[in-house]
Amino acid sequence: MSAHPLAGDFSVEASAQRVRHYRYAEERLMRTLGGWIALTPELPVKLLFGRHVWDCAQHADLWGRRLPELRSPAQQSEPANERFVRFMDLLDAREGRGESPQRVVGVYRVLKPHLVATYERHLAAANPLYEPPTRRILERCIAEERRHVAAGAAVLERLLRDDDSRARAATWERRLYEALAEAGGVTGESPTPPLAVDVAGVDPADDLVALDSVFDAGVIATDLRAEVDAHARALVEDDLPALAGQIAESARVTVLATYEDLGPAGRCDVVAQARVGAHRFVGARRSAPSPRRSVPEGARRQPR
Amino acid sequence: MERPIAYDKLAREDRFVRKRAREIGEMRIEQGLPPMADLASRESIRERVHGILVGELQAMEGAGRTVCDFPDAPWEFTLDMARQVWDESRHVEVYLGLIDHLGGYVGEFPESTILWRCACAEDAAARVAGVNRGLEGLACDVFNQLVHIARKIGDPIIERAVDFVLADEITHVRMGSKWLNELTKGDPERRRRAIEFQETIDERFNLGGVRLDGDHEEVAISIAKEARRLAGFTDEEIERLIRSTQRSPVY
Ligand SMILES: [Fe+2]
Ligand SMILES: [Fe+2]
Repeated sequence: MSAHPLAGDFSVEASAQRVRHYRYAEERLMRTLGGWIALTPELPVKLLFGRHVWDCAQHADLWGRRLPELRSPAQQSEPANERFVRFMDLLDAREGRGESPQRVVGVYRVLKPHLVATYERHLAAANPLYEPPTRRILERCIAEERRHVAAGAAVLERLLRDDDSRARAATWERRLYEALAEAGGVTGESPTPPLAVDVAGVDPADDLVALDSVFDAGVIATDLRAEVDAHARALVEDDLPALAGQIAESARVTVLATYEDLGPAGRCDVVAQARVGAHRFVGARRSAPSPRRSVPEGARRQPR
Repeated sequence: MERPIAYDKLAREDRFVRKRAREIGEMRIEQGLPPMADLASRESIRERVHGILVGELQAMEGAGRTVCDFPDAPWEFTLDMARQVWDESRHVEVYLGLIDHLGGYVGEFPESTILWRCACAEDAAARVAGVNRGLEGLACDVFNQLVHIARKIGDPIIERAVDFVLADEITHVRMGSKWLNELTKGDPERRRRAIEFQETIDERFNLGGVRLDGDHEEVAISIAKEARRLAGFTDEEIERLIRSTQRSPVY
């Protein structure tokens, strides 16, 4: 761009096209996050997505309302190219149980940092005399997306607890970045799409809920806890006579058959206690190969 | 992403124990308890508040699915639903705080997915009728009563927090009324089916005589006529709801 104050990088048409590309990314991300909420077990992640759906919706709306001011129909989304659609499809498809880290990585380590960096470059190039309406939207989106990236980093730190999960997340991040690069980023023009992951000085506290809230087995009454622990121990040691003695007679055959099907347990951790009146339901998680299930009825009743 | 998703895909942390609503009700009755926690003691208020917490979670999840499942719906509709997702996420935060305030913990009572099932209707108009008018209408009843009881027992924390949530819920019902009309414009059959769906939900959540037109301290869930009027229910609709509570089967 020349130094003249009226010089500009973007024509009206090119600006409108960019805005449609931005709107495509924000709108699709809004729908993806909205759909993922129900599929995501971890409370802080669920609530993070819940918070950000509305921010993405507002960004898409702001971009969509800017369009008629640029001689273009309102509220239209347009991907930069088919490869950007494929990038979004790839990101969106991680909907399995246990894929929360991949979901968070895709949005908060790749797409949102890319949007921040792209918006920042656009802001630096947008003419301050005749493009302030676009600049205001960019400024707002940058501030909010940066906050999202910071919040995502805090949540991700708690999701990735071991080297294995960190390695899987890194592999996924690289794969997504490659797909983003093939698309040339959100605008289709950057063979090496910029990412802004540095969020120093950004406070994400308002977006973080129940971050360190976990089940405390201390809520289980002492006598019931002793029974539950004995049962867990018998499971790990595969002590059939002890297990049989701990299970109510009416349920014994079925429960023992289930245990046999599941095979030996490596670990057994108490993860939940809910009550209905005087009844207690204690949840336990066995280590692989079985998923979590409840300790049988006979071992979990106790008077209030 | 798969659209719509199956009922049983609703994901929870291990600390939530899931049970069918009917099973919970029967276990309570067996022990001589009312089928649903009342508001007679701080402990039963805690149980009710926990039930609301999981309801808010399911409301957030349901509204999120609506944002995701209907890409061809009008943009303003999606915008309203996205706003609702944000509101419900804050409601979850409020009720997490209230559970703490009442000395409880997340997962203390089992969760039933009855609200979530209603949010899985395949038609957007049925979803807003059932969820925003049926379930959020129920939320107006429950929250209005909780505000009243909190005031009576002198708990300004519950009173103030729930009153703000109630204001949001009234807004959500209004959104439901607006979009039920807009989405079914020129399609009376679609409108009829959506309203019928809402009525089955109203009927189900009368809970066999638990919800009634009565004094806050005398009935388990008291119909919030004033809040419902504010939310855009007509007097005729409110009367019809009251009549329907009188013919509901016993739980
Ligand atoms: Fe709510
Ligand atoms: Fe609501």
